[in-house]
Amino acid sequence: MVRLTYQIAFTTLLSYGILFVFGKLRDLFDKLLDWSKSNDPQGYAPICYGFQDFYTRRMYQRAKDCGGRPIASAPDAWLDVIERYSNDNNKTLHRTERTTKCLNLGSYNYLGFAAADEYCTPRVIQSLKQYSVSTCSVRVDGGTTKLHTELEKLVARFVGKPAAIVFGMGYATNSAIIPALISKGDLIISDSLNHNSIVNGARGSGAAVQVFQHNNPSHLEEVLREQIARGQPRKYRPWKKILVIIEGIYSMEGELCRLPEIMAVCKKYKAYTYLDEAHSIGAVGKTGRGVCELLGVDPADVDIMMGTFTKSFGSCGGYIAASKEIIQHLKRTCPAHLYATSMSPPAVQQVISAIKVILGEDGTNRGAKKLAQVRENSNFFRSELQNMGFEVLGDNDSPVMPIMIYNPGKIPAFSRECLSQNLAVVIVAYPATPLLLARARICISAAHTREDLIKGLEVISKVGDLVGMKYLPIGPLNHKAKEFSKLELIKIE
Amino acid sequence: MGKLYVEAKPPVDLNKNTEWFMYPGVWTTYIAILFFSWLLVLSVFGCTPGAAWTVVNLFHFAVTYHFFHWKKGTPFAEDQGIYNALTWWEQMDNGKQLTRNRKFLTLVPVVLYLIASHTTDYQQPMLILNTLAVFVLVVAKFPNMHRVRIFGINAGN
Repeated sequence: MVRLTYQIAFTTLLSYGILFVFGKLRDLFDKLLDWSKSNDPQGYAPICYGFQDFYTRRMYQRAKDCGGRPIASAPDAWLDVIERYSNDNNKTLHRTERTTKCLNLGSYNYLGFAAADEYCTPRVIQSLKQYSVSTCSVRVDGGTTKLHTELEKLVARFVGKPAAIVFGMGYATNSAIIPALISKGDLIISDSLNHNSIVNGARGSGAAVQVFQHNNPSHLEEVLREQIARGQPRKYRPWKKILVIIEGIYSMEGELCRLPEIMAVCKKYKAYTYLDEAHSIGAVGKTGRGVCELLGVDPADVDIMMGTFTKSFGSCGGYIAASKEIIQHLKRTCPAHLYATSMSPPAVQQVISAIKVILGEDGTNRGAKKLAQVRENSNFFRSELQNMGFEVLGDNDSPVMPIMIYNPGKIPAFSRECLSQNLAVVIVAYPATPLLLARARICISAAHTREDLIKGLEVISKVGDLVGMKYLPIGPLNHKAKEFSKLELIKIE
Repeated sequence: MGKLYVEAKPPVDLNKNTEWFMYPGVWTTYIAILFFSWLLVLSVFGCTPGAAWTVVNLFHFAVTYHFFHWKKGTPFAEDQGIYNALTWWEQMDNGKQLTRNRKFLTLVPVVLYLIASHTTDYQQPMLILNTLAVFVLVVAKFPNMHRVRIFGINAGN
């Protein structure tokens, strides 16, 4: 839950209204001035209707230069952003030869594996020389190397499940696995703020989808009771199976899911659970094993645990960890395993090395140091931002912290001003977030030093003053961010 | 202190086109826009208050009819066109009828009509136009008119 004053809600809605009116006026003038030019070439149907891409053309395009900025180096704590310019109001953006070295607060680099690492990189280069860049095959044909089997065993051991299966792409993991497990006649109950990959997978499976209020176990129980009692639509037959899908850390909120309560509810009603740990695996928990370790839930209770290698392991790809029978079934039915190219061997080796570092099996305690560092960095950054008067979401210990911006005029202003002061941030607005709740999302890394964070804080404070984003009173707040260890939501008053 | 802030629980509506209406502050903004546009009309045209309310009422009729009951679909391509046959009014609240938002939106044209007809003293040319506006808008918002297309008007893509 976020707090909004009526003034913020009013001005934000008014700003969107003005943008909408101007967009409509521009469309009107477009139509009037290009009356002679016909839009449909020789009777073919238009690819998209004018109304469907209205948002992209008239609202997103105004801030297009704030997204998709090309980079020219590895996404370490500092990275090189290529400068771009536009002569026609962001319709076309041209790259220049110049780059700016910026502090990187936008990449998912929680443990600092994104750039060269002293243990991982030599081994990755060795595997590149031995196995080459791509297996050029699907897993079932010729694409399973020794590395792939080693990674699957290692992931299963790391996460605490009997078996695991890995895929080349995190998004494809969700959107291809869910249809393989769920089909018509089943029910999916997913958190209202779940990621687009889960939404796509759920839609593609053909099952009925119900949504429960974000992180609200009592609403989940309500929805479960109603659905079990009602049964399938129109026929009222009982559901064949029910799957509840939740995420470990919600990437747009930075908050942890209330796993113990939700697991209790699902156990009571015998629903299966699917936990997407894309942002939490490797980043939270004493030994980096994710939200199950952090919140004290036995991994054997969660039926299917999914995660990605993009965030904490500095690679790409995703995995599913579950019981041996489920993994065997997936290996026979999941299209991402049967028809998609297998993960690139150097990427596999990067994950293997990263997990070994986290577990301490490389012979040093760098893993534990990195975990402690990211935790310390996140808590420091978050408390400092809150002291400055910003509204920051997310729980303590979560390396993802969204700073609320709300107003559409302030969103590109914040991003551009930060870039001019050599700070690279990511901003998120409608439709990825609710209309009123646009935000800048900061991702803290173990690679950030204390000086980096202090510089980041200075820039954000200056830009926040310029733009007018310090909505809360300055100084330590009476209510702290939710502490996961209390296992209950402290209501923000 | 608590009352100054309003808590926004993320609504469970998946349709990005209508979900923004479920947040606090929307009703106030709507009423404020109507009031300020009345002031604007008064200052630009220098007419009587009644004529200004009539202008606001008719303009409100044109705009809300076009955007709520004529335009179908959503301004985003990501939902793959599942709402392409539904107007904004039909998409609201997931199609549930008689919710608080719908009752509020039905009431606004009625109140505008009462204000406009009162301030023009029920004189003729304005009265028939205002009555027509409120009639069309309120009928369009009836629950029985959900997904009804009279004479197939606006049924096509």
